[in-house]
Amino acid sequence: MPDITLPKIDVVIVGGGWTGLTVAYELAHAGQRCVVLERGGHRHDATSFAGPEEHDELKYAIRHEHMIDVKQNTLTFRNGRDQRALPMRRLGSFLPGEGLGGAGIHWNGQIWRPLPSDLQMRSHYEDRYGAQFIPDDLNVQDWGVTYDELEPHLDFFERICGTAGYAGNLNGEQRAGGNVHEGPRRNEYPNPPMKQPIGPTLFGEAAARMGLNPFPMPSANVTAAYENPYGAQLHPCTYCGFCERFGCGYFAKADPIICVYDRIKEHENFEIRFRSTVLRIDKAADGQTATGVTYINAEGREVFQPADVVCMNAYGLWNVHLMLLSGLGTPYDPATGSGTVGRNYAYQTLAGVNVFFDEEIVTNPFMGAGALGTVIDDYNGDNFDHADLGFLGGAYVAATQYHGRPISYQPVPEGTPSWGAEWKRAVRENYLHHVGIGVHGSSMATPENFLDLDPTWTDAFGRPLLRMTFNFPENDRRMTDWVMQRAVEVARNMDNVRSVSSSNRAASGNDYSIVPYQTTHNTGGAVIGTDPATSVVNRYGQMWDHHNVFVFGACLFPQNLGYNPTGPLMGLAYWTLEHLKNEYLNNARPLMDA
Amino acid sequence: MLYSRRSVLAGLGAIGTAALTPPRHAFARIDDRPFFFFTDDEARFLALICDTLIPEDEFPSASQAGVVDYIDLQMAGPYGRGARLYMQPPFAEGTASQGYQLPLVPAQLIRQGLADLADRDDGALRRDAAARKAALTQLSAGDPAALQGHGSTFFDELWKLTNEGFFADPIHGGNADYAGWNMVGFPGAHAYYQSFVDKFNVPYPKPPMGINHKPGGDGAMPRPLRQREG
Repeated sequence: MPDITLPKIDVVIVGGGWTGLTVAYELAHAGQRCVVLERGGHRHDATSFAGPEEHDELKYAIRHEHMIDVKQNTLTFRNGRDQRALPMRRLGSFLPGEGLGGAGIHWNGQIWRPLPSDLQMRSHYEDRYGAQFIPDDLNVQDWGVTYDELEPHLDFFERICGTAGYAGNLNGEQRAGGNVHEGPRRNEYPNPPMKQPIGPTLFGEAAARMGLNPFPMPSANVTAAYENPYGAQLHPCTYCGFCERFGCGYFAKADPIICVYDRIKEHENFEIRFRSTVLRIDKAADGQTATGVTYINAEGREVFQPADVVCMNAYGLWNVHLMLLSGLGTPYDPATGSGTVGRNYAYQTLAGVNVFFDEEIVTNPFMGAGALGTVIDDYNGDNFDHADLGFLGGAYVAATQYHGRPISYQPVPEGTPSWGAEWKRAVRENYLHHVGIGVHGSSMATPENFLDLDPTWTDAFGRPLLRMTFNFPENDRRMTDWVMQRAVEVARNMDNVRSVSSSNRAASGNDYSIVPYQTTHNTGGAVIGTDPATSVVNRYGQMWDHHNVFVFGACLFPQNLGYNPTGPLMGLAYWTLEHLKNEYLNNARPLMDA
Repeated sequence: MLYSRRSVLAGLGAIGTAALTPPRHAFARIDDRPFFFFTDDEARFLALICDTLIPEDEFPSASQAGVVDYIDLQMAGPYGRGARLYMQPPFAEGTASQGYQLPLVPAQLIRQGLADLADRDDGALRRDAAARKAALTQLSAGDPAALQGHGSTFFDELWKLTNEGFFADPIHGGNADYAGWNMVGFPGAHAYYQSFVDKFNVPYPKPPMGINHKPGGDGAMPRPLRQREG
C-alpha cells in the first residue's frame, strides 16, 4: 500500500524532457489536468547554464554533471546471450539525462527527418529489391505511419526549435544546396543555415566536385532572433563550442525548458513534481487499462497518483524498464521469439575519418556548435542502389565542428604513440589543423539484440536493473565499412590535406563496447507498428494491451535510422498527440483493432 | 611533520634534463598547503610518473602544470571517493567491452597502483627514467601480469587523470598558467565567436581565459578552495 493516495487527475506524465513537457503543453491546452513526474530536479538555462561557469569541460563533459547518476539507476550489459551481463558502473557509450529538460538539455541540436522509405523499410526494400533481399536474421519492420502523415508534425517541431537549414525538397521541388534526398517539406526552415567554418567548407567543396550533394546540417542552434509557435524567444548561436553535454545559457540551442516548459509552467492545468521517481505503472483489474502510477516523492514517501491517461515519456531505455517492472505488455523472449517488450533494441553504427591539414589551414576547432557541419546524405537510407552491396541501410557523412575542448579533442595522425613526448608534440601540432568526418549509420534490429530485466543487480530502489544484450549485426558492419570508404574518398579529395585516417566502431571483430562514448541514440524495445505480435504500441503510440497508456520517444523506432532521433521522435509525439486529443479523450478505447 | 608542496618537490627537477631550465615547479598555486590525499612520498613518485606521460619540452611537463595538485584534489574529492560509480556487489570479471568492474573507487585504485609501481625492482622506477618509461609502456599495452591483472585499468585511470589535469580549466588545480591551453591554442571558457567562425585560416588572437579569469591572472582556483584544510 502506498503512503499517500492522491486525488485522480486526467493525465500523468512520466518524465520532464522534450516529449513529456510537450505532451503536458498540448494536453493542458486541451483542457486536461496534467501532472509531470520528473525524477531529477529543477534547472533553468538562465540560472543553471550561464557561461563562463557552464563552460567547464571537466565538470560537465567528463564528469557528466547533467546526466543520470548510475548510483541511482544503471543497467547491465553483455554482447550476447552466452555471456553474463555486468553492471554499467560508469557512464560511457551513451549519456541519458536527468532533471528538467532531460537529455534535451545536453543534446547537440542536430535535427533530422526520416526518409519516406525509412518509415516503410520492409515493404520498400521488398518492392525495390525483391522479397528475398532482407535476411531472416534482421527484424526489419515498417513503422505503420508514413512520411506524409508525419510531415506536418516534423515541420511543427522544426518551428518549435527555430531550426536553421536550407530545404532540399520544397513541396516536391528539389533544390541544390539542401538535402535533395529528403522527403518533400511544406515549409522552408524557419531560420537560415549556420555559418560554415573552413573544415566543413573544404569537405563540401570536395564532395560537390565528386558529384555529391553537400548541404549545411539542419540545426537547432538558432541563427537569428526568433519566436517559436509557443511564444518562446530564441537568440542567435555564438558558436561557443560548449553544446553537446552542456546546457545553453545563451538561449541559442532549442531545449525543452525554454521552448516548452517556460510557456506552460504557469498554466492552471499544469503541474510538475521534481525528485519524483516512478516505481511502476499500476494496472486496472479490467486487464485493459492502467489506473495511474506509483512513485517515490521528494520526501521518500510512496505515492499513488491515479489518472485517466498515463503517458510514458522517460528516456527510451527507461520506458522499457518501467514496462518490464510493471508487467505491461509481454516481455520478449529471444529463445522463442515471442513477446514484444524489449524486442528490437537497436543503436547507431558509427565510423569516423580524421583529416589533417597542412599549416595553411587553421580550423579554430573551439569555434563550434552542436549541429555545425556540412553533410552528404547520398549514402543514407536507400538513397543509393543496394542491389549488389549485401546490406540494408546507410549513413550520413558529415564534416562537423562541434567543439575543440582540449581534454576530449586531441586528434593525432595514425601511428602516434598514445602518451609521452611524441604524443605531446602531435597534439600541439594538429589541434588547429584537423577536421573530423562522422559516418552516422543506421542500426538494424535482430532477434539477439534485446532488453530484459537483470537477475542479479538492482537500482537504488531495489528494483532489478534493465539488462541490455547487444552487438553490431553483420549487416551494419558491412554497411558502415562501405560508407566509411566513401567518406575516405571525399576526404582524399579535399584541398590542403596532409593525411587521412579512419576507424569503424563496428569493424569486423570489434565487439560493441559500453566504455567509449559513441552516441546517446538508444532505440527500440517498445516499438510502433500495426501488428501486436511485433509491436508494443499501435501506429498511434497507444499500447495494444492497455489502451490508456501512450508511449513516446525513440523506444518506438522499429530499427534505427541513419539520423539523429530527436526530430523523428518528436514528429511521432505530435502525431500521437493529434490522435490522443481528437480521437481518444472523448471516447477512450483502442484506436486500432488488435 | 607536514611539508609544503614546493618543498616536497624540491630537487625533483635535478633528476632529468629539467635541471637545465629555470625551476618551474608544480604546486605553485597551493604551495603553502600539505597535500589533501597523497603522502609526500606518493606525491613525489606520482610527479615522476606523470612527467613520463607528459614530459617537459618547449611546454611544461605534467607536474610543472600542476597535474599532481589536480590529481590530489580529485582523489580527495567526490570523484576519488566513487561519486557516479555504481559500486553494488557482486563484482565479477568481465570482458573489455563491459567496462570497469573492480571493487575499488578511483582513490584506492590510484593508491594501490602507485604503490605497486614504486615497489617494483627495489624501487627502480623511483630512480631511473628509462625504467619508468619501460614500465608504463608495458602497462599501457595491457601487461596481464601487472597489478594482479589490473595494470591496464590502473594505467587508463592514471593517464586519464594526468591528461585532465593538463587540460582542464585551472579552477580544478591543474593547467597552471594555462600550460595545456597555451600549448594547443585553446582560448578557454569566455567563448563568443559569432563574428569569427567563418574567418578562414585566421588564428584567434586572444590569450586563454578560464572560468575564474581576472585581468592579468591565471584563472587559478578561488581563494576559499585553496585555503581549505586537508
